[in-house]
Amino acid sequence: MGSGTWSTDVYDAATRYRRKTGASAFSYSDGGARTVHADLDPKGAFRESRDSAEHPHSLAIAVLFDVTGSMGRVPRTLQAKLPQLLGLLQRKGYARDPQIMFGAIGDATCDRAPLQVGQFESDNRMDDDLGRIVLEGGGGGQMTESYELAMYFMARRTGTDCWDKRGRRGYLFIIGDEMAYPRVKARELRKVLGEVGAEDVPLAQMVSEVRRRWDTYHLLPTGAAHARDSRVLAFWRDLLGQQALELDDLDAACETIALTIGLGEEAVDLDRGIADLAEMGSASTGTVSKALAQVGSAATTSSRLPAIEAGGPVERL
Amino acid sequence: MEHVIVVDLGYGDAGKGTVVDWLCASRPVHAVVRFNGGAQAAHTVVLPDGRRHTFAQFGAGTLRPGVRTHLSRFVVVDPLALAPEADHLAALGVPDALDRLTVDGAAPLATPYHRAANRARELARGGARHGSCGMGVGEAVSYALAYPDQAPRVRDCLRPALLRERLALLRDRLTAELGPLDAPPIDACVAAFAAFARRVSIVDGAEVARLLAAGPVVFEGAQGVLLDEWHGFHPYTTWSTTTAANAETLLAEAGATATRLGVLRVVTTRHGPGPLVTEDPTLGLTDPHNPTNPWQGSFRFGHFDAVAHRYALEVCGGVDALALTHLDLTDRPLLLCDSYNWTDRLAPNPDPTDLTRQAALTERLLTTRPTYDCPANLPAAIEHALDVPVLLTSHGPTAADKRARAVTAR
Repeated sequence: MGSGTWSTDVYDAATRYRRKTGASAFSYSDGGARTVHADLDPKGAFRESRDSAEHPHSLAIAVLFDVTGSMGRVPRTLQAKLPQLLGLLQRKGYARDPQIMFGAIGDATCDRAPLQVGQFESDNRMDDDLGRIVLEGGGGGQMTESYELAMYFMARRTGTDCWDKRGRRGYLFIIGDEMAYPRVKARELRKVLGEVGAEDVPLAQMVSEVRRRWDTYHLLPTGAAHARDSRVLAFWRDLLGQQALELDDLDAACETIALTIGLGEEAVDLDRGIADLAEMGSASTGTVSKALAQVGSAATTSSRLPAIEAGGPVERL
Repeated sequence: MEHVIVVDLGYGDAGKGTVVDWLCASRPVHAVVRFNGGAQAAHTVVLPDGRRHTFAQFGAGTLRPGVRTHLSRFVVVDPLALAPEADHLAALGVPDALDRLTVDGAAPLATPYHRAANRARELARGGARHGSCGMGVGEAVSYALAYPDQAPRVRDCLRPALLRERLALLRDRLTAELGPLDAPPIDACVAAFAAFARRVSIVDGAEVARLLAAGPVVFEGAQGVLLDEWHGFHPYTTWSTTTAANAETLLAEAGATATRLGVLRVVTTRHGPGPLVTEDPTLGLTDPHNPTNPWQGSFRFGHFDAVAHRYALEVCGGVDALALTHLDLTDRPLLLCDSYNWTDRLAPNPDPTDLTRQAALTERLLTTRPTYDCPANLPAAIEHALDVPVLLTSHGPTAADKRARAVTAR
């Protein structure tokens, strides 16, 4: 039994029936591709979230996930729940013009696709980005992934109008069950990002740099009672404090992201947000509630910085 | 074993999905036929590679290539919930779920108006909620009983003008009774339901016979016998016949028979309010697939209630074998309740339509105390207490965690 698991939105259903069905949403990866799709290649890339006439209050949201080992399931879940995430953010007024970017994190020391980054999109074109992600599948479990490389990209290779025009940080969600390497290595910056004249950056410095423009959360799936869970959690707690969230169930990632934004934007409190999730038919309210208990009780974290006067100079940190 | 009927002999959530998946993985099943309930079903199946789907309307064998699903006329069909479910299956690498689906045109539709009415009623009940799932299934059933010739049905999706008329009538009647409903406009519903009709095969009642002739069929029950509309513990029941009766009707129409498999957890659970005689919060168990939700409330655990399950067997006419699930829980001693403080047999209602008598039974059960045994071998003790052989035991979420059990001569 359980409650209604699937959305019953009438508009959403009509769109889905009209869409041609056929191939898997991950046709690129499922088709055997094992190198980064050109559209997602971070080499020399810069990603921007900008206002437009249609979306004048853009809010940048980046979701980067580990795609190795058992984590390969995350993008499939995200893809399935994407319409709900967007719907919740917009219909419930959590964010007026969310622009979402997806990316995937691997291991720069051994994977073929250590970092993949999509574009910030306001509509279901982000679906296409998800579909191009290479899922590393098997392996995994080596305790460390190149999360620090992803942070470098977010810190130095993105531009957002929510920050540049309104002094508001975007949201960065990293989903993964491993630890980061202790430093961003110059060699990998050259190889993966095409960075010239790069130097090593210690992890702690990278974290503090990325958090200046990105309200950064780590979602750690707890899962199969690994003894190492507590070590990984301690690692992220040390870096991000209570913004390292434990997630009982990976399938709840989408809802957790939506609600974290709702809390950060002060659009809802935790109880109201959980009720919103239940209303849209989420089966994950328990998991989300548990994951966000600390964030919610802290009455919104310091996700807001003083707004900068319109037209005034923006100090680049 | 040719055709099989799978029923839950408890309050639902026993693991019908995982048992149906195992059947489809271990033999050449042609189709899974649903014969009760609707989109409120939540039958979770996990594959060994970690992929997972919670089946609501598709048969739980859908992750197995080629296995078809048929929604019979006894199912309340929800086209809106079906679309995202199909898309989730596609995301899991099963792109053809809709192509493997047939729906009986006579099946009633669940609509946003039913859903809104359902929720309005449950909210009005406040603390005395019945544990409804909020999907509008009960509302659709009661409306179809009250207005059999005007209730919107699956085949109406092929005739938009007629559908529009029936939806408007439905909405107006429910609005007159309950006040304004929080539901989308008629046009939006007609558009979505028409899109559903263009995509899905809508068939007549003879489809079941065709499927039975083509190969082995699994009849997948929803919910549990102890929630049955007549035999359950009124008013904590569902608007659905949860025994094997509907499946037997479909089989009889086709001149076929089937083996019956009853599914039970080694602990008796209940999602939502109502009698659970052996409830024991100190068991310290949780179920990640059944979080507390505002419509059903919390998920409750109790020791194995052989008295209640014997009653379920009696009212559904018995089963040929049992599938026992969640044996991976039993690294701690679990108890078996073989009698209550006043009886060891709950007698079926001589007049099943007399809900006053069932309500009196419910009242009594709410204050009943269990007496327990602590069996060394729980499956053997259950086999003995219910007098039915255990055919299958489940020790984990996937088909690979299932063990066929040698049936000993008794």
